[in-house]
Amino acid sequence: MEPLVEAERVSRVFAMAAGPVTAVDDVSLRIAPGEHTAIQGPSGCGKSTLLHMLGCVDTASAGTLRFGGEDVARLSDRQRSLLRLTRIGFVFQRFFLLPMLTAAENVELPQAEAGAARADRQRRTQELLEYVGLGARAGHRPSELSGGEMQRVAIARALANRPQLLLADEPTGELDRGTGEQIAALLDRVNADGTALVIVTHDPALAGRSRRILSMRDGRIVEEAIR
Amino acid sequence: MNALLFAWRSLVRQPARATLGLLGVAAIGALLFDMLLLSNGLVTSMRDLFDRAGFGLRVTATEALPGQGPGLPDAVRLVRAVADLPGVRSAFALRLTDAVVDTNLTASMRVSLQGVAGAGVHPWTLRRGRDLGDGLELLINENTATATGAAPGDRMRVHASCDNDQSMPPVWFTVVGVADFPFDGPSRNTAAAPMPAVDEACGGNDAGLADVIVLASRAEFTDTEVAAQVTALAPHLKVLTNEQIVGRMERGGFSYFRQISTVLTTVTLSFAALLISVLLTVSVNQRLGEIAALRALGFTRGRVVADVLWESALIVGGGGVLSLPIGLALALGLDLILKDIPGVPSDVHFFVFQAGALGVHASLLALTAIVAALYPARVVARLPIAATLRDEVIG
Repeated sequence: MEPLVEAERVSRVFAMAAGPVTAVDDVSLRIAPGEHTAIQGPSGCGKSTLLHMLGCVDTASAGTLRFGGEDVARLSDRQRSLLRLTRIGFVFQRFFLLPMLTAAENVELPQAEAGAARADRQRRTQELLEYVGLGARAGHRPSELSGGEMQRVAIARALANRPQLLLADEPTGELDRGTGEQIAALLDRVNADGTALVIVTHDPALAGRSRRILSMRDGRIVEEAIR
Repeated sequence: MNALLFAWRSLVRQPARATLGLLGVAAIGALLFDMLLLSNGLVTSMRDLFDRAGFGLRVTATEALPGQGPGLPDAVRLVRAVADLPGVRSAFALRLTDAVVDTNLTASMRVSLQGVAGAGVHPWTLRRGRDLGDGLELLINENTATATGAAPGDRMRVHASCDNDQSMPPVWFTVVGVADFPFDGPSRNTAAAPMPAVDEACGGNDAGLADVIVLASRAEFTDTEVAAQVTALAPHLKVLTNEQIVGRMERGGFSYFRQISTVLTTVTLSFAALLISVLLTVSVNQRLGEIAALRALGFTRGRVVADVLWESALIVGGGGVLSLPIGLALALGLDLILKDIPGVPSDVHFFVFQAGALGVHASLLALTAIVAALYPARVVARLPIAATLRDEVIG
């Protein structure tokens, strides 16, 4: 099957005052459509940096990254923005919902940016909030929601433009165990409905829900397990 | 949600910051508006005053402004010749000097004394009594009448100082009327008399010498055409239209107001730009994580920059609208203070509303909004998405 994302010997080196730091070192990876992948490893092993490169918000210092067969390095900043807007969804550890907007407005925002018609946006937003179990909280602002509810809204927002790939960086990192379980189950459901999912996590239980688990250490993938 | 609505929501989210920005711009915008009204106010007001006086041309001996250069000799004969020109409706010569007057009943007081020769309409408006005739007759303004207690029919002693500061013997005049003079200030004392009478009060010094001949054109002639007729009659004289006189004032003493206004405008706009820039930069720095997340979600660099620009525009636009009534109220108060300066005509204003000033005000504030947004917009445009997301989590 044609991979959705393909990283070929990618590295990411940060220039620091004390000298260059290699966060990701010569990593090759393929993510197929609909795949459920977890990247785990200790803090500072480069898993978030790899996720950022897969999500086209960071560029590789070396190697090639292709999304849908297209070399991302050849895209302009605007084209990369469009790629993220329409084909990739992000879920962050700290949610990053906009506090002045309601849950529905947060979900509507990426759709408006993508040029969706108002009626379509509203229908899709309601559908997504129902999907994440927050249909009744559409008019609530983030400050009126719990951590788990905020992450549900963030997942709905990430799915707003029907992405092919959903990237989640420690999606349960700020949540208690029970709420984390609910979010993990929701992400499983998103994947089961056809969206490829890559989760970066410290949590072995969350990683264990994935079919494919990549373990990283010192910027390299040191182990790959397929269940 | 477009960038404008997004910016509006961002402002509403932080009401204290938005209020601070609005009030700051309102105060600065009010000062800016006043500076714009001041920069051309005096010139506009003087032009209006000249036009309302009904005399469009002034004849002098040299390029100097009336009263500041050599006089016109043989003014009585000259003004008759000018009055006979086909385009002239009315003409009179003025000799400008000072005098000390009293009525024997009151303390003496200093007045501006105008010697007048010529026929036709005079520039003053008669309030009581009758207009000047021949002989030692005196027309006084309301201030002089009040201060001396003189009324039409009373006798008044005049010590003319003329231009040579010599002490002249007093001459008794008869007050024939009380009038409003167009260039009088609120505390100014003015009197007018036939020019031969003023010459007599001056002891014959500089007799027949006028500082200026003022004339009004007939309706069927333009001021420029009448100026050409005067020049043909007396090529050695200088004929100035009101516009030219105002132009000279504008280039002369009045230019100080424009220079002061320009300096203060620049300073106030710099403060406005700094204030807004600081507020926006603080706001942007507080929201770096959110902005990086938006970029990660696919918002373009242009879109997040537009959010900052609109936020700046909303603060400056709202503050700018608030600044107009504040500026107008401030201008009225300042105008009252400045009009108390001795010698300033009552009908002259330092702050004059002009529609053009609104356009300049809006343009300068729009420019300020853009300049103020430059730095925070740069911060947003150059925001490294991945590094910011990483820092936000670590932080």
